[in-house]
Amino acid sequence: MSRLPDDLETLAGEYALGTLEGAELHRAMQLEAKDLRFREAVISWRLRLAPLDDTAAPITPTRSLWVRIEAGLGVSRQKPVAARPSRLAQLWDSLNFWRPLGLAGGMAGLVLAAVLAVTVARGPVAPLYVAVLNTSDGRAAAVVNVYSNGQVTLIPLEDISVPQGRIIEVWTLQNREQGPVSIGRIDRARTLKLDLKNLGKPEANHLFELTLEPPGGSPTGKPTGPILMKGLAARSI
Amino acid sequence: MTGLERYGSIENAIRAVASGDRQALRAIYDAEGARLNGIAFRMLRSRAAAEDVVQDTFLKLWEAAGRFDGRTGYGRAWLTTLLRNRTLNVLRSEARTELVDDFEPLGLETGSESAEERMTRLSDEHALKRCLEGLDAARRKLIVLAFTEGLSHGEIAAKLGAPLGTVKSWLRRSLLSLRECMG
Repeated sequence: MSRLPDDLETLAGEYALGTLEGAELHRAMQLEAKDLRFREAVISWRLRLAPLDDTAAPITPTRSLWVRIEAGLGVSRQKPVAARPSRLAQLWDSLNFWRPLGLAGGMAGLVLAAVLAVTVARGPVAPLYVAVLNTSDGRAAAVVNVYSNGQVTLIPLEDISVPQGRIIEVWTLQNREQGPVSIGRIDRARTLKLDLKNLGKPEANHLFELTLEPPGGSPTGKPTGPILMKGLAARSI
Repeated sequence: MTGLERYGSIENAIRAVASGDRQALRAIYDAEGARLNGIAFRMLRSRAAAEDVVQDTFLKLWEAAGRFDGRTGYGRAWLTTLLRNRTLNVLRSEARTELVDDFEPLGLETGSESAEERMTRLSDEHALKRCLEGLDAARRKLIVLAFTEGLSHGEIAAKLGAPLGTVKSWLRRSLLSLRECMG
């Protein structure tokens, strides 16, 4: 196979190295998904760099780790191979889903492709921006879609346990000067239309976040409770 | 015969996992679990977080084994990539986008071990060692720290107090030298 141009070769190297963020990361993920030569270059870089991983001292996991893994097998795949993946499993399945959802601009190519597939199935209008909200342990727990007409929907991908006497408040952070702004409250996980009036137009990298708050919402007007999930908006493709 | 030997190679074991063989998953865990846990710990600096990442990686392997292309010699690196990507995700999306007043990068101290110490543990038989030694010390450190600690371009720049563009161009030139050297 012929050589890649230097810029693509180094992009593949940086991707394997793990240093990319934002638009560059997004580009690398897209190329990995659709360009065989680029994918091969990435694999070559992973193999070149692999000996460096082996300089980490091995640490025998605690005994309970395998028990935890085994307990997860039943729920993560009912029937091997033949099982049709759930919406969440499809997201999960994409290697790119593992890539950072933070800091980046128009990142997460295949994540967005997967999310878009979900969204497109729901209606003919594709959102302008999509944010995948992750829980603290990295599960995709909700998707926020921002449409060109300004409409915003929050679609939970799993149930959220809300303690007695608490509600879920939805926040967005458009800029640091203004700080987080409440855009809605719900009592449990359900699809929700959000109100962005009085706010700027949504853009990539705006943060969406869900916290637990007292009934009636945060007493301070800023998030006070634990963060349930959060994620950054990215332009859909 | 125990563990991975039963399957002949990790690539075969991954294929067995794809067909739903839990024994194969266990065999890979026994052979690779401690190594992966060590890699994750070095990047995350937390035993609990490292084990969580290893757990996620094996659940991911269980689900995604069918996507492995089966090529000889890539199984271990492919599995490590699942772990590394998950770890980078934890490092970037969670810790570093906390909605708190402080959006600064997390502490970037190098930890107890220097890049050169890590270099010395690279086996002499690897071309990577020889080729990294061909770079000047500062560039070598850049590559080693970026990879072993999961630093982004921006974090490296902050750590070195160097402009982002400079860091990127150093890394890119170093990668091209490495590629020339390693083929």
